[in-house]
Parts: sequence; C-alpha cells; structure tokens
Amino acid sequence: MDISLLNVIKLLLALLAIIVLLVLNSVVMVWLERKAAGFVQRRPGPYVVGPHGLLQTVADSVKLLAKQIVLPGSSDRLLFLSAPVLAMFPMFLIFLVIPYGPWLTGLEVNLGLLLILAFTGLETLAVIAGGWASNNKYSLIGAARCVSQSVAYEIPLILALLALAFMCGSLDLTVITEAQSGWVWRWNIFRQPLAFFIFVITCFGETNRAPFDLPEGESELTGGYHTEYSGMGFALFFMAEYTSMMLVSFLAAVLFFGGSNGPFINGFWWTFLKMGLFMTFMIWVRWTFPRVRFDQLLNINWKWLLPLGLLNLWVTAVVLKLF
Amino acid sequence: MSNLFVNPFHFSTISENPADMLGDFYSLNFEKGRVDPDSMILNLGPQHPSTHGVLRILAELHGEYVLRAEPVLGYLHRMHDFMGQVKTPYQFLPNTGRVDYLHPVAWNWAYCGALERLAGLEVPERAEYLRIICCELNRIASHVMWWGAFVMDLGGFTPILYAFEEREKINDLLQIVTGSRLTMNSMRFGGMGADLDDRFLQKAADFIPYMRERLKMYDRLVTGNVIFRRRLEGVGPLDEEICRRYGATGPVLRGAGVAYDVRRAEPYGLYDRFDFEIPVAESPDCLGRYLVRLREIEESLKIVEQALARIPAGPYKHPKAPKVSWKPPAGEAYFAVEGGRGKIGIHVVSDGGKSNYRLKLRAPGFSNLSLFAEAARGTLLADALAILGSLDLVIPEVDR
Amino acid sequence: MIKAIVDNLRGLWSLLVGLHITGRFGLGPFPVWLGLKEPESGYPQLTTHYPWKTVDDADLVTFRGPLELVPSEEDPRRSKCVSCLMCVRACPSSCLTVVKGGQGKAPAVWLNDFTLCSLCGTCVEVCPAGALRFSHDLYWVAEKREDLVNDLLARLAGAAPEKARL
Repeated sequence: MDISLLNVIKLLLALLAIIVLLVLNSVVMVWLERKAAGFVQRRPGPYVVGPHGLLQTVADSVKLLAKQIVLPGSSDRLLFLSAPVLAMFPMFLIFLVIPYGPWLTGLEVNLGLLLILAFTGLETLAVIAGGWASNNKYSLIGAARCVSQSVAYEIPLILALLALAFMCGSLDLTVITEAQSGWVWRWNIFRQPLAFFIFVITCFGETNRAPFDLPEGESELTGGYHTEYSGMGFALFFMAEYTSMMLVSFLAAVLFFGGSNGPFINGFWWTFLKMGLFMTFMIWVRWTFPRVRFDQLLNINWKWLLPLGLLNLWVTAVVLKLF
Repeated sequence: MSNLFVNPFHFSTISENPADMLGDFYSLNFEKGRVDPDSMILNLGPQHPSTHGVLRILAELHGEYVLRAEPVLGYLHRMHDFMGQVKTPYQFLPNTGRVDYLHPVAWNWAYCGALERLAGLEVPERAEYLRIICCELNRIASHVMWWGAFVMDLGGFTPILYAFEEREKINDLLQIVTGSRLTMNSMRFGGMGADLDDRFLQKAADFIPYMRERLKMYDRLVTGNVIFRRRLEGVGPLDEEICRRYGATGPVLRGAGVAYDVRRAEPYGLYDRFDFEIPVAESPDCLGRYLVRLREIEESLKIVEQALARIPAGPYKHPKAPKVSWKPPAGEAYFAVEGGRGKIGIHVVSDGGKSNYRLKLRAPGFSNLSLFAEAARGTLLADALAILGSLDLVIPEVDR
Repeated sequence: MIKAIVDNLRGLWSLLVGLHITGRFGLGPFPVWLGLKEPESGYPQLTTHYPWKTVDDADLVTFRGPLELVPSEEDPRRSKCVSCLMCVRACPSSCLTVVKGGQGKAPAVWLNDFTLCSLCGTCVEVCPAGALRFSHDLYWVAEKREDLVNDLLARLAGAAPEKARL
C-alpha cells in the first residue's frame, strides 16, 4: 500500500465515518433492544421521549455524559479509567477492513479476516483491566470468567472461519464476498452450514451476550466487570458491547450471507440489511433464554464445538482436494 | 482516667491492609471460620438482584465454588409477633397481610383460624368457600410470581413479565373480593370482610381455562428449554432427611418426595371436601421443586373450579361474628394452614385481656432458608443462587 | 455418545420452540398496526398504559382508595359523622384525627394521615353511622408529606385542594 496524501485522507475520512457509524449504531440498537424486549414481554417499551421512544437513547446518553465517574476506593486509577477506552478503541480499526459494498471499504488488506480475529481479542483485555482495576470481587469474577470464555470461544470461531478461508482460498474479505456472488445458494451459509452453526454460537460467546453473558451475569455478579462503572465509563462498555455485536453481525453478513450480494441490485444496502437482521436475531435470543452455567459453557465449547469445527475443517479439506 | 490520654486517632483494631478494615460483626465472625486460607469471602446482599429483598448471604468462595455460605437475617425485621401482643386481635389483622406479601390470604386465614379456634367461633359455609377461592387464587399468583423470579435468577428475563400477566389477572379477581391488590386483608373473625359478586364468578370462570393454556406455554418456553433443564437437573438435592432436620415444609418438602400438605394432613376449612392431589417430585433437585410448584398451580385451579361450581348462597359472615372491640376468651390455640411456601402456623395465647398475651408466627420461609447453608456447600456460585431461588423465599416473611 | 448427540439435537429443538414463542409475542403488535387483526386484549400490551389510559370505574367498585366521608342525605356537603370517635379508637395505625365541636354532633376536624393509613377498613366497619367509605381515588399523588394528610371534611365540601394529577 502506498502512503500517498490521497490514501491518508481517504483513511481519515473512513475512520470518521466509522466513528459516526458506531455511535449511531449504539443509539439505534439500544432503542431497538429495549423496544424488542418490550414487544416480546408484551409491554410498549420506551414510549415517551420522541415518537415511540426513538429519542430515549439520546436522552440517556446525555444523562450518562453528565454523570460523575465514581472512582471506587483503592482502585487502580489509570487502569480503571483506561479500560473503557481500551474496550472501544480497537473497534475502530476492525471496521476499516470490512467490505460494506463493492466500492466501500476503508482499507483493503488481503489479511482482513486475520486482522479482525486478532483485534477482537483486545476487548477481553479491556474487560480484564476493568474488572481488576475496580477492586471489586464481583468485577474480578466477571473478568476471570470473560478470559476463560473468550479463550474457549475463539478457537472454534477460528476453526469455523478457517474452513471458509480454505474454500475461498483467501483471508481477504473482498475475495470471500466475491466468491459468494451470483445467486443465493452460492452464499456460504448453504455451502458451510456447520461452520455457520459454530459461528452463531461463538458469536454469542464472543460478544458476551445472553445466553453466554456470564461476565456480566447480573443475577449472580450484579453487573460483573462493569459493576463499579458509572457515567461515561459504563456508557463506553455498553457501546463496546453493541459495537462488538455489530462487528459479528457484519462478519455474519459478509462471510455467510454473501455480503453486498443480494437477490437483486447488489450494493452496500444488502450488507447493512443483513447486519440488522442478524442483530435483531441476537436481541431476540437474548430475551428468550436463561443463562448457561459456567462449566456448561466450557463444555459446549471444548466438547462439542471444537470437535465439530475440526470435523468441518477436515471435511472441507477433503472435499476441496477431491473436487 | 488513663482512657482520656489515649490517642483518639489511633484505632488499634484496624490493620494497614484496607481490605481488612471492611466488615461488620457478621462478616468478621464469618471470616474466623475460614476453611481455606486462599478463599475469597463474598458478601451477597442485602442489595443483590438474586436475593429478592434484603437477604444477605456471606459466602466463602474458592474460584467459583462456594465452600461455605451463611445467610444473615434481620434486615426486614418488623416485630410482627410483638405487634400482635400490643394491638387488639382485630387491629392486628392488617398486619397478617404484610407478613408475606405474595401469599397474604393464607396468613389472614391462619390468624383468623387461630382466634376462631380459640374462641370457638363458627364460620358460615359460604365464607369457607370464599376463603378457599381467595387462598387458592392467591397461591396461584404466588407460584406464578416465583416461577418468573426463579427463571430470572437463572438469567432469563422475559418469563417474569409473562408471570406478571397472570398475576395481574388474579389481582383483578382478588381486588373484587378483598379491595386491594397486594397486602390483602379480607378475612374477619367468623367470616369474610366482603362478599363476591357475579362479575367475580364470571371472571374466575374465564380465568381457569386461560391459566391452563398459559401453563402449556410455560412448559414449552421454560420447562422444556434445554439450558434451563441442564441448569437444574441434579442441582441442589435436598432429601427428606435434611428437610426434617430443618423443618422445611411446602414445595421444598414435597420436592424431596414427601407428600405432606397441611390441607390433607390436618384439614382446615372445607378442604376435606375437595378433590385434589398432592404433587410430589420424582427427583429431589431444583427441577423437582420447580415441577412440584407448576403442578400445584394445576391442583389449585382444580380446587378453584370445584369451589366456584359448589359455592352455596348464604351469609359471608356469621351473624354473631365478633365486633371490632372484641376480646377473645382466655386460652390458647394453634392453627396451621398451607401457604405458598409451606406450613404457616400461628400460635395464640390469650389471658382474656384486650390484646393477645402471646403470639407466635411460624413462617415457612425461615425454616426453608435455614437449610441453605448446608445445601449450598460445595456448589458453584450460580448453582447456589439457583438453590436459593428454588426455596422460594419471601424475605419479609423470613424476618417477620 | 449417540445418546448425547440425540439429547443435544433435542435441546436445540427446544431452543427453537422457545424462540417461536417469544417471537410470536414479539411480533404481536405488528398485525394489529397493519390492520390485519382486531386489537384483541393483550396486543400490543396487557396493562393499562397509565398516563394515556386509566382504569375503568367498573373495575374499581370494591377498590380501597383513600378514606372519604359519606355525604348525608339532606346536605351533600355535610357528612353523616356523629363524632363518636369509635374509628379513632379502633384504628390500628392511629392515623385518624377527629375533633368534636361542629354543628350538633358533626365533627369540627376530620383528618386522615394517609402516610400512616394501611387501608385495613377497620374504621369503615366500626362506624355506627355508616359515615366512612373508601374512595376510588387511584391516581392521587402528593409532592409533600403534609399534602398526604387528608382533610376529609374539606374534601367532602368540595373545597379540597386541587389534586395533583399527572
């Protein structure tokens, strides 16, 4: 990649657009989550601020911005304050490499998938930092859970995505998208259903969403790693959760649902539509299931998903070799 | 005099480690019994999402395993026993609805029954039927609320709001008879405080098939759910022996396989005229207790159905029922009813004076909670909270 | 091994069943909004959407709201109270203040401290003149503790301070 002025300007513009996207996403998704939860539970959800509560999240974020950040006694100041930033910051870079549409990618790299997988691990670091620095036992347990959970889930996730990379012969997300162009049954979800199954389950584990929201686990750990956070610190952790949700939804759209390839008129709108649908699915799941226990979570992963992922990888390799 | 010269800024009991400064009598006492030097002592509550009220639990954790746990009570102690001794019997009546906010009608009944037994008062048949209808509807509401709260303990948030739908409908019904939606106080010595009307009968008749449909939905949404089942199967087994030692009653005891129900064992009211079963769990774990409660809802529906079909006409209160300024005769009486959480017993002693000489409330929640310390030993933190949820505690009742 | 696999597949099916139930509830409002279905009870919501809707009076017939005095037959601005103070003696929470000294037997002051009242109904039952009843004032709110001391005579006379309603 040549470093010309044009490229730098393009990169900066892309980063700016991504920041706007992430903030907008959090605002909209929090509203959607509350509204969907309301409908599922047969209540109206946010209703008062704005039409059908659309501005509720804006009002909430103003409140969170204005609130004092309470530092718990004998906490690690630097870590405590930097953890939320650390949770949010790597996300900006990840969104650079996602091909939203044929002409819409912040930064085209041929190792996009690898970059994404590498950077998603950073969020775990932020959770550990936050949980440790809070000097709170609930936070500590939450952070410890988060570490073993993400270690456990990243391996099947990588195995599942590796099968895709085998099939497309590339780690470049643009290439993977192009390989799915044509018609709907060329989407990877039909060609790699097992990989998709593993991917969906690991998504919930990676994003710490129910039924795998053990690091937060409010009925056991009150708030888990963000028990002590208030104001903007809490808001950033919250944003990070929705951002990682959006990330896995974009990944699902690009890797399994053909990205910008639609049934008709290809374009970036398909990516966003698929992303939105996948996020709605995640919300729907959250408001349906109880939480799994911690040992069960590890069992699901090490005893079922890991062998399944290996099997899938092996079958893919054999099939590719034979045909 | 030497005390005057002690440096007021020197606190000898406080060590330099700030973590050691924290803790009150209970936690310091709990810390003395440490099993493992590397353990972590976690203070759950009094404000904690899973304790449903102001219960406090001290737990010694090794990783996620609970080595030792100890409930700390008394954050909602209101001296109901003593209030019953300073107020006249009639004045104490509203208190009974406030002991257990989820099943107030049973407490009403226990107190009225105790004083009726003491004074040998008669209750008209219609009033007995009314009591049974109210008590069973209230039991359904109590169990349904527990169902929602229990699933919430396990992390599923939606069921509690479905549970509230049923509770709303039952509250609408009970409001017609009792006038209030929470701390109901509808019974009087020798009958009921108010009669029901046709609207009630019609609404109640509509409610029974509706509730049966909803129970099927509960089964599909929660009972059949694989995550839920695996969270509960084999978790927190409480056998007959531990229940006997701690005096656990109600669904906890029936979950252990003992078919003990006050409605059958020492029938009160007109329960001996009704046809219902006493559900018993096949396994003594959390799932067993869960299934017992769900089946109890069905049995209660059966009782309500029979009562609505057979309710006779007549007065809802005995014409010679005592007035507000009533003084019970000297003597003593004990009356037990089956509440949503177990055996509610009220022992009243009167010396013929204005107020009771002695009043003792036996709360089932207190006995059920007592076995938690033993049951939680060696379980995972999440399992310990599932066991706590499966005991169906109402803290105001535990502390009284 | 095979049993475990079958169990897990069954488990996955149960998850789909759960999703079906919540999904059906979640999509409940849409057919109503689109006009495909009648707004039967429960969709989009079951409870009373309070500031916009209020509870039907028919559902409140036996409801126990704050106490109020029953107007006498001759003059609806006057109560039936004969100042016998039975209610004050019977009240378990000492929330009533009745002072004699009105015209004839009528009371001069009749206060009900709603912060103490537990709506048990003992006073209503004990009243020999039938002068007390429960109102159906469901939405009564106050901003100050003093506002909750209800002057029932003034309320009866229609001169009660304007109730703060949302």
